[in-house]
Amino acid sequence: MVKKISLKFSIMMTAVVLAAILSGAWLTAAYLQSGSRAIFLPDRVMTLFPAPKPLAAFAFTDHENRVFDLPRLKGKWSFLFFGYTHCPDICPTTLAALARVRESIAKSTAGAQDVQFVFISVDPNRDTAGRVGQYVTYFDATFLGVTGDDAQLGNLAGQLGAAYQVEVKPGTENYPVYHTAAVFLVDPRARYHAVFAPPFDAEGISRRFEVLRALEAPKAT
Amino acid sequence: MRWRHPVFTALISALIALAAADDEAGISVRNAWVRETPPGIAMTAGYMVLQNKTSRPQALVAASSSDFETVTIHRTVARQGMTGMEHSPEIELLPNASLLFAPGEYHLMLQNPKRTLRAGDRVEIHLRFRGGLDLPVAYEVRK
Repeated sequence: MVKKISLKFSIMMTAVVLAAILSGAWLTAAYLQSGSRAIFLPDRVMTLFPAPKPLAAFAFTDHENRVFDLPRLKGKWSFLFFGYTHCPDICPTTLAALARVRESIAKSTAGAQDVQFVFISVDPNRDTAGRVGQYVTYFDATFLGVTGDDAQLGNLAGQLGAAYQVEVKPGTENYPVYHTAAVFLVDPRARYHAVFAPPFDAEGISRRFEVLRALEAPKAT
Repeated sequence: MRWRHPVFTALISALIALAAADDEAGISVRNAWVRETPPGIAMTAGYMVLQNKTSRPQALVAASSSDFETVTIHRTVARQGMTGMEHSPEIELLPNASLLFAPGEYHLMLQNPKRTLRAGDRVEIHLRFRGGLDLPVAYEVRK
C-alpha cells in the first residue's frame, strides 16, 4: 500500500487537527460548566464505561519479584498495557507515549503519586522479571513490569477484553506475537474504568485522565 | 526474435543500469531515524519518509546494515482485534508518491545491533530497490 500525500489528504488532516483543537476547547469549557461525567462523550482517544467493572483476583510477579495481585491495584489509578520486550515497534512506541503521559500527570496539581503504569508481558517464554524490569524502567523509572503464566495472563486479559497470541516455534528465538494494543485504565477501587485506543496521543490521554480523576475523587474510598 | 541473444542481453543490462542511475536521484529519504534500544534489548525499528520522484513505480525489496545482524521490512498490522507484525517482502512505491515508515505502520525491523546505539549516534542502512539500486541512508538514533 502506498500513501500519496494528496490535496484531499491534506484537507482531511487539517480537518482532523481542527476537530481535535475544537474538541479540546469544548472539553475544557464543558468541564468548567458542568463538572459532570456526562462531558465524556465517546471519543476516539478514550472510551469511558458507564458502570466500571470490578476486577476479580489474579496473580502476577512484578520485576522486583513481588506479588502483583488485585490488592496492588487498590488506592491507585493503573494504566495497564500488554506487550513483550522483543517488540520493535508498537511496544516501545506505546511505552514512550505513556512516559509522556506520566510526565504530564506528574506536573498537574494533583501529581502522579496515585498513578501507576504496568506493563504486562504476554511472552513469559522469553521475558524474565529482570528483562522486563530493565525494559520498562528505561522508559520511566517508576514503570512496573509484570510477568505471569498463561493461566494468569488469560485471566486478566479476559477480564479486560484483551487478546494475545504467541506462536512459539521450537528452536528459534524469533516468533510472532500478537496482542491488543489498547491501554486499560483501572480505578483506585480496582474497577476497569476506561480504555485508550491507539495511536496514543499523550496530551489527549493525560488531559482526559486528569479531568476523570478530579471527577471521581469525591467518590474514592 | 532470439531473446537470449548476447546483444539483446547487453542492451537490457545497459537499460537497467541507466534506469538505476536515474533512480539514484529519483528516490529520496527524509526524516530517517532509529529508536534507541533499552538496555539488554537487541531489537529496534527504523523509520523514514520514502519519496519516489521518478515517473515510474519503484519497489523496495531489501535492506541491510553493517550495524545490525538482520534488517527486515515489516508492517504493523491488526488481526482479530490484536496488533502484530508481518514481513513485507516487497513494497511498491507509486510514481511521484511518498511512503511513510512510522510507528504503528511500515518499519525496518533491526535485530541484534553490533554496537551500543545511543541517541545522537548515526547508523547506515542500505535500501535495495528492484532493478539493483542500492541506496545508503544515514539514520539518526533517537530516544
